[in-house]
Amino acid sequence: MRDALSFIALMVTICSCAKGIDTAEAREPDIVRRAAAQQVQQTTTGGQQPGFIQHLENIQPGISLHGGFAQLTNPFHGDAGKVREGASLFVSYNCMDCHGADGSGAMGPSLADNRFHFGGTDGEVFQSIYEGRPEGMPAWGGRIPDDQIWRLVAYVQSLGAGKDVSTENFTGKTIQKMGH
Amino acid sequence: MRISHIFVVSLSVAACKQVGTNADTTHAAVGGAPIVADARIGTPNPPGAEGEWVMPARDYASSRYSTLAQITSGNAKNLRAAWTFSTGVLRGHEGQPLVVNKTMYLVTPYPNVAYAIDLTQSGYPLKWKYRPDNAQQAVGTACCDVVNRGAAYSDGRLVYNLLDGHTVAVDAESGKQLWRVQMADLQRGETITMAPIIVKNRVIVGSSGGEMGVRGWIAALDLATGRELWRAYNTGSDADVKIGSRFKPFYPTERGKDLGITSWPGDAWKIGGGAVWGWLSYDPTLNLVYHGTSNPGPWNQDQRPGDNKWTCAILARDADTGELVWAFQVTPHDLWDYDAVNENILVDMPVKGQSRKALVHFDRNGFAYTLDRQTGEVLLAQPFVPMNWAKYINLQTGRPEVDTSKATKQGKLVKNICPSLEGGKNQQPAAFSPQTGLFYVPTNNLCMDFQSRPVSYIAGTPYIGANAPETGGPGDYKGEFIAWDASNGRKVWGIREPFPVWSGALVTAGNVVFYGTLDGWFKAANARTGEVLWQFKVGSGIVGNPMTYTGPDGKQYIAVYSGIGGDMGLLIAGDVAANLPFDVRERGTTLPDLAKYTSWGGMLYVFSL
Repeated sequence: MRDALSFIALMVTICSCAKGIDTAEAREPDIVRRAAAQQVQQTTTGGQQPGFIQHLENIQPGISLHGGFAQLTNPFHGDAGKVREGASLFVSYNCMDCHGADGSGAMGPSLADNRFHFGGTDGEVFQSIYEGRPEGMPAWGGRIPDDQIWRLVAYVQSLGAGKDVSTENFTGKTIQKMGH
Repeated sequence: MRISHIFVVSLSVAACKQVGTNADTTHAAVGGAPIVADARIGTPNPPGAEGEWVMPARDYASSRYSTLAQITSGNAKNLRAAWTFSTGVLRGHEGQPLVVNKTMYLVTPYPNVAYAIDLTQSGYPLKWKYRPDNAQQAVGTACCDVVNRGAAYSDGRLVYNLLDGHTVAVDAESGKQLWRVQMADLQRGETITMAPIIVKNRVIVGSSGGEMGVRGWIAALDLATGRELWRAYNTGSDADVKIGSRFKPFYPTERGKDLGITSWPGDAWKIGGGAVWGWLSYDPTLNLVYHGTSNPGPWNQDQRPGDNKWTCAILARDADTGELVWAFQVTPHDLWDYDAVNENILVDMPVKGQSRKALVHFDRNGFAYTLDRQTGEVLLAQPFVPMNWAKYINLQTGRPEVDTSKATKQGKLVKNICPSLEGGKNQQPAAFSPQTGLFYVPTNNLCMDFQSRPVSYIAGTPYIGANAPETGGPGDYKGEFIAWDASNGRKVWGIREPFPVWSGALVTAGNVVFYGTLDGWFKAANARTGEVLWQFKVGSGIVGNPMTYTGPDGKQYIAVYSGIGGDMGLLIAGDVAANLPFDVRERGTTLPDLAKYTSWGGMLYVFSL
């Protein structure tokens, strides 16, 4: 319940600062509604095998089925000042000691190779920070302000973006700063 | 000035080619007189038969010595792969198999699957496989890969720790879980990677998490039920540390009330580290368990002025009660992440002409310590790798004479500190042979720059506050497998390796010493001379510890894990994009070309003649 409340608070925050975002209901991915409808259908058919349902989305990786995070956009997208502030927060919140200097990977995975386990869109990175991830990424939602999370998203996305280097080479230049 | 201590080996090795082949003449002088005379393993023979291996280091002394002698320095060149087994896990395979009752037991890195392999059957089928509940969150909470350093066996039970902080006991015959007890608090950054030992009916375990602001502890559980019998913390009040009337440390600086609080600023001891993630030893005569403690947290020393007791220390505790009997802080107020968790090898031997009940410890800080294990007195302390952070160890105080130019400080970039934070040696355990009197030590030759900064404590996140890039040490090698004379504090021989030697050592009565390398070579060397007798290229770098056993067919086998990872391999074993030329990531400048020589793996290799 607390999560739901804080999510609502988050939505309010986002809506107030991001332009062109519609209501939470409209942002809910279509697949969620269809899955819910399918659930109802299964129940009403008395446990029989459901018929063949065409849902190509079902086999797409990386789709968030809840929360609508995937629809969010970063209000600070492309703002170099906010990226710098995100870099500072990345150190302050001990992100660096997990993900390595310049996000190049250590205890936690690299954030600098443009390959995101849970998706690299604005909303997906936001969700990873906000809700945490199963292999140990803490949930920061409600613990730090949402606008700081967006700064972190901006910074994390800047690490791999536009860098035409392989992970290996990139790591070779930067991971040495971490040393552990 | 860098202390370069390349000891020139001038010992006569004329008798080294003479080898015995009779397995019964286990203590006969294979190859002649010992190099260090009158040194012997300080504890009685381990439980189990000669050809078994029932605890992590084979015996309570942590010798990793086997009396098996079919494989000798004369015939080791004929070794060949006998059989292999895939563990199904691709992370750092530290630790070692056990062999009991014609069964081999393996424990994998996270998710910490246990396998029992029937050695009596053709094809080595599984007797059982046990996959425990093990919280996935632990993967990102462990600092230095998701390793496990092995199980211990006693009384029909296989006992080991899970990364998510549980200790489990499994019926060795059926694989049925007997008990599962939560010991560590994952939410506060605690995990468990160490191998327990079983002393009488007590399972001794300790916590990991020195990089996460934990408060380190060691505890004893009842073997039959898993009930906690005692738990001692390594920081905090005397009551919590279990300091009482029996506490008699050798040095005055280790005496005083509540040093586990007063040697810290404010409440810093509550998040000050002192974890117990390394190896345990036990002296049944003294009834003392010996363990080291990890670095203090955070690495940024400006946030914790004081000695920071009892971090970076060797502690001797009563096995029945946990009471502290003596303590020796190896690196007081650590400035370099020099955990003191490396193994303590219990050997009775002459030191300076006097027979001593010794404890030999190759510390991260680059000094090899020979202590009196009854009192904690430092008898000898000499560098065993290139190092420069201290000039020497003062034997009057036990404390290092620090080179102040290598002292780290907040905001200051201190360059070229040797050894690096990986230590002159890390967890990779050494071995001791009573035949030669020598210790066989896998070492690192690395240096670092160190820059610390303020850091906040946020539960469950790293509490470090420093960057410490590493580079190779002096010379064109980054690791060396050495033979060490702990009676005199000198290197006898060494085999230089291009990479840090992150595997443990095994030495046998056949005058053969075994170790593996990060680039995937498994090697057998003459224990007297260091001559490499045989080597075999395995599928993935070796960070595990070789062991030996007698098969049901009466033959001697050597077994070792292959599977790069652990702290030195952590980044190497991280994932990479599919379009990269190699399938492992390189660890920056530390090991720039390792990826050409190895890749992910998770295999058991077994060798025989």
